Amino acid sequence: MLCVKSPDLIGMKTTNNDLKEGKHMKNKDKPLTRTRASRSSIKKNKTIYLMLLPGICFLLVTSIYPIVWILRFMFYNYTSFGEFEFIGLQNFVKLAKDEIFFESLINTVIYASGKLVLTMPIAFLLAYFLNMKIKGRNIFRSVFFMPTVISVSIMSMVFYLIFNPYNGSANQLLLNWGIIEAPINWFSREKAMLTILFVAIWGAVGNYMIYFLSGLQTIPQEIYESADLDGAIGWRRLWYITLPMMSPIIQVVVMLAITQAFKDYETILVMTAGGPNGKTNVLYLYIYKLMFPMGDAAGSVVLQYGYGSAVAFVTAIFVGLITIFYLQWSKKMQETY
Amino acid sequence: MQFKIKKTIGHGVLYTILIAFSIITLYPVVYAILGSFKTNMELMTGGGILPSVFQFKNYLYVWEKANFAKYTMNSVFICFFSTIGALIISSITAYCIERYDFFGKKVIYALYLSTMFIALGAVTLRPLYLLAVQANMHNTLWPIIIIQIGSQGVNIFLITKFIKSIPKELDEAAMIDGCGPFKIYYAILVPLLKPILAVVALFQFRLSWNDYIVPSVFTMTQPDLRPLTVGVVQLKWGTGAASEWHLMMTGAAISIIPILIIYFVANKHFMAGLTDGGVKG
Repeated sequence: MLCVKSPDLIGMKTTNNDLKEGKHMKNKDKPLTRTRASRSSIKKNKTIYLMLLPGICFLLVTSIYPIVWILRFMFYNYTSFGEFEFIGLQNFVKLAKDEIFFESLINTVIYASGKLVLTMPIAFLLAYFLNMKIKGRNIFRSVFFMPTVISVSIMSMVFYLIFNPYNGSANQLLLNWGIIEAPINWFSREKAMLTILFVAIWGAVGNYMIYFLSGLQTIPQEIYESADLDGAIGWRRLWYITLPMMSPIIQVVVMLAITQAFKDYETILVMTAGGPNGKTNVLYLYIYKLMFPMGDAAGSVVLQYGYGSAVAFVTAIFVGLITIFYLQWSKKMQETY
Repeated sequence: MQFKIKKTIGHGVLYTILIAFSIITLYPVVYAILGSFKTNMELMTGGGILPSVFQFKNYLYVWEKANFAKYTMNSVFICFFSTIGALIISSITAYCIERYDFFGKKVIYALYLSTMFIALGAVTLRPLYLLAVQANMHNTLWPIIIIQIGSQGVNIFLITKFIKSIPKELDEAAMIDGCGPFKIYYAILVPLLKPILAVVALFQFRLSWNDYIVPSVFTMTQPDLRPLTVGVVQLKWGTGAASEWHLMMTGAAISIIPILIIYFVANKHFMAGLTDGGVKG
C-alpha cells in the first residue's frame, strides 16, 4: 500500500494519512513521490467529476426528479387547480375502486399479450428465412426493418385514414377484390383492439427480426452441416437445432418485448384515444389522460396529478412484477430443458 | 431429382411469404407518399394507388398556409441540438465510467441502470413541465431537447462496450506524455469512437425526429413551437379533418421522406447499432 496505483479517492485518502506519518519515516524518497501522485490524482478526479457533471445533471433532472415528484405526490390530492394537500393512502383506496383502472388493466394485458403472441413468431420466422442464403435477403431485411425508423404517431395517423370505415383504402381494396361485401367498421367496439394490434405489429416486427437475426448469426455453420448429414432439414432443423440453440437469446428478446408491449400507448393515443367506450384504453394511456388534456381540450378538464402519480406507481410496479415473473419462469424452463 | 423439386417448391412458398409481408410493410408508406400528391377527392373515393395528376401544390399549400415551414424548422432545430447533446453526454460519461475509478462510481452506474428499466409513462412529463414553467423555459424548444437527451442510459452502455475494446495502453501512453483525462477523451478517444458515435447519432436523430408525446405535451398551448409530428397529427383533431386528408398525407410525407433517405443511406448502421447494443449487452 505504499504506492498509489489507481487514482481513486479512497486511495488518495490513504496517501494523505501516510503522509502525516511519513515525517517519522527514515526513508524520505517515498513520501515525496506519494505527494506528487496524490496531487495529480486530486486534479484528475476533479476533471473526471467535471466531465461527469453534465450527464449527472441530465440524469437528475430528467429521470430522478420526476420519480421523487411522483413518490411524493401520490400521497397528495393535487389537481390542475393548483392547490395540494396530503391525504395519505386515499389515492390508493380510490384506485382499488376505480373501474376504469381495472378495465384499462385488462385492455393492457389483452394488448400486450396479443402483440407478443403475434410479433414474436412472425419476427422469428422472418429472421429465420432471411438468415438462409437466398437472393435478395438484404433487400427484404431493409424493407422489414423500415417501419421502425418512421414516426409511430405519423404512421398511426396514416393507418387511421387507411382504416377509416367510410373512405379508407382498406375497405375500398377489400370491396374491390370481393373479399367483403359491406364496409367493415374497423373501429367498432369489437374490432378496434384488433386494428390497433395490426398497426402495433406492423411497426414492431422489423425491430425484433433484427434482434433474432443477430442471434441466428452466432450459431456456427458447422452445426447445420452436421445436422444435414443426420437428415435434419427444413422444419425439423428449425425445431430441433435452431430453437434450442437460440433459447438464451429468445429469452432476452422476449423480455425486451414484454416491457415494451406494456409501455406502448402512442399508437392508441393517435388512432382511437382509448375509444370506443374505453375499449382500447390501456394503463399508460389512462395515466396520460389523468395528467394531460386530450387533443384541443386544453383547460376544459380537471387533471388529477396526485391520483395519476398513484396510478403510474402501481402500473410501474405491475410491469416490473411481470418482468420478474417472466425471468423466473424462463430460468426454470431453461433448467428443465 | 425429387429433392430438387421439393426445394423449388419450398423456395416458391418462401418467396410468396416474404413478398406478401413486404407488400403489407410497404403499402402504408407508399400510400402516404403517393397520397400526398392526390386531391382530397381522389383520396376519399379510392381509385388507383397512383394519383391521376400529381398535385405538387399540396406541398406548396402546407408549406405556406398550414405553417409547415415553421414545423419543419422546429423539427430540425430540436433534432440538431438533441443529437449533439446526446453525443457529447453519452460519450463523455461512458469514457469516465469505463476508464476511471472514482468515488461514487457504483452509485452512478446503478442509477443509470435502474432509470433504464423504470417505466412511469407520461406522468414524468408533468413535473418536468412544471419545472420548465418555473425556469421560464416553457415557451422555448429547450425543454423538449433536454428531455429527449434524457439520461442517455442505453447509449452510455453502447459506448462503454465499444471503449472496452480499445486498448488501454493508448490512454496510458498519452497520460505519460502529460495529457489530462479530458485531452485524452477528445484528442484520442473521440476519433476512435467515430463508428459507434455514428450509430448513437442515428438513433438519437430517429428518436428526436419521430418523437410525438414530449413535444405534443410541451407545445399544447404554443402552436408555433410544434415540430412536424405534432403539427401533422394535430390536423386529425382539427375541425376540418374530413376535408384535409390530402394535407395530412402531405404532412406525413414531409416527415417520412427525410428519415427514409437517411435510412437508405445508412441502414447498415441502424441494424448494426441494434444488434451490438441490444441482445448481447
